Amino acid sequence: MLPPEWAQREHLRARLAACFSAWGYQGVELPALEYADPYHPQDARAFKLIDSGGQVLALRSEFTTAMGRLVQTRFPAGPFPLRLQYGGRLWLRALTSELGRLREFYQAGVELIGVETPQADAELLALAQAALNEVGVRAQLEIGYPGFVDAVLEDAGLHGTARDALHDAIDRKSGADVDALARREGVSAAVTRTLHALTDLYGGADVLDAAEVLAQASGAGARATAAIAHLRTVAAQFMALSPSSAPLLFDLGVSRRYGYYTGLTFRAYADGLNQPVLGGGRYALEGGLPGAGFAMGLERLAGVVAAGLPPEPEVVLALDRTGADHARAGGLTAELAWTDDLAALQAYCRRRGITRLVRGQTWLEVDA
Amino acid sequence: MTPAPERTPDHLTLALPKGRILEDALSLLAQAGLPLTLPEKSRALRHEFPGVTVLELRNQDVPVYVDLGVADAGIVGKDVLIESGRAVYEPVDLRFAACRLSLIREVGATGPIHRVGTKYPRAARTYLNAQGIPAEIVKLSGNIELAALTGLADAVVDLVQTGSTLRANNLEEVDVLFESTARLVVNRAALKLRRERLRPVIERLRELVAVGQEP
Repeated sequence: MLPPEWAQREHLRARLAACFSAWGYQGVELPALEYADPYHPQDARAFKLIDSGGQVLALRSEFTTAMGRLVQTRFPAGPFPLRLQYGGRLWLRALTSELGRLREFYQAGVELIGVETPQADAELLALAQAALNEVGVRAQLEIGYPGFVDAVLEDAGLHGTARDALHDAIDRKSGADVDALARREGVSAAVTRTLHALTDLYGGADVLDAAEVLAQASGAGARATAAIAHLRTVAAQFMALSPSSAPLLFDLGVSRRYGYYTGLTFRAYADGLNQPVLGGGRYALEGGLPGAGFAMGLERLAGVVAAGLPPEPEVVLALDRTGADHARAGGLTAELAWTDDLAALQAYCRRRGITRLVRGQTWLEVDA
Repeated sequence: MTPAPERTPDHLTLALPKGRILEDALSLLAQAGLPLTLPEKSRALRHEFPGVTVLELRNQDVPVYVDLGVADAGIVGKDVLIESGRAVYEPVDLRFAACRLSLIREVGATGPIHRVGTKYPRAARTYLNAQGIPAEIVKLSGNIELAALTGLADAVVDLVQTGSTLRANNLEEVDVLFESTARLVVNRAALKLRRERLRPVIERLRELVAVGQEP
């Protein structure tokens, strides 16, 4: 990474951290080396190392699991809600680095732990919107609720591997695979139609109305209806917290990692980038403590941040200390002269693109 | 190559496999309302239409372009899609280019399967694991049937369309892994960001396919 990119990265990192801090999220730092754990959700994708004692270690592959452990060991009694933020590099053992999907990348994010109210969900959505605004990224937030798909499948009497396979097919919006699985499992035509409808439940606020109609028509149970009611409340509270943001999108066919997420999930799509720049959701820590949070990928954000970020101050060359103080007091970046050879300094300035020298309070132009 | 012109936010980029499928795909998408025509024979790899760009790709590359978001949507066979392991939406079964991926052996072969030759190592591995067959996979690139005939492998996993190649070579299908047809695939973010353009295309394609399916 070279200076312009580094400056942009540091700027993004500082702006996001300041934004999270202003909402009361305190920073923590977590180790990059962890003991490998087969029950870690990303264990299969993490880089492994072996230490001198033969112990298998893993390079950090996501933050939430380690944050959960930190909360359990250091803040077992709260006070809740606990608001924490983190930032750092992650490593994934993907086959190769791809466009927008690197083996080594940087994430900044937050966790809101110990509470499970619509207000808490709305706060995270509003904070995500505020963070995107802070770095000048125009993006749309989309909400999903994996438990809704699961509730519909449960109401249809589907269990075990058939339910898993249908979750996967619905998440891929694959009507053909839903049909094939429905035939194999002997699912009725009416239920198959409902499952198809799930794959089309995406778009604006009208999705919640469509979901309600679907739930009523298919005689859905309390879980499905409660999910829709919860999303309505969260959406209303989000709009109250963040009135100027773009309308929320919904996708009630999302069911990736439905066993992990216990409530809503969300992501942000930035204009012009076909990969999400932010993702998060509600989960339960080991022991049942509720948590929710989101993370932003800095590499992807850097690709879509507003032009001119960070603002770059003019660089000048100071011939003495008072000149440097004078320039820096004026908000400029001042480099110090390293020799009295004015010709060498002038030549350096021309190569470096510096147009002004300063001695004391006096400004000198660099010779063309 | 034609230079890429300025694009509107709802511009669509489509990834289509070159060759015979390209013609079927273009005509189907044109019927679904996109302003596409068959490009004249040329060496261009990128074709510009009003509001739509078509990328002409090898079919294995279609899921990659769509998953990584370089293309918003594409058309590819389910066999290639499964083998790619890419997480893309597949909202329409276009029902052409039908074939099936099968486990094939020499007629009468009954010995244990230790080695399986295939162009589809991922799909073959999943199948063999599910069946509890601890066989090695030999990745091959073409005329896979020869592997079973020459003893390079005890069985092969390959596409079957009519079965006439198998009959001509004294081979038989032992099991079917899955049936495959061409699918419309869509990038996960693009479906949401460009839903105003993509949703009508999806609806129209479903109608067209349903009509074609009626007796």
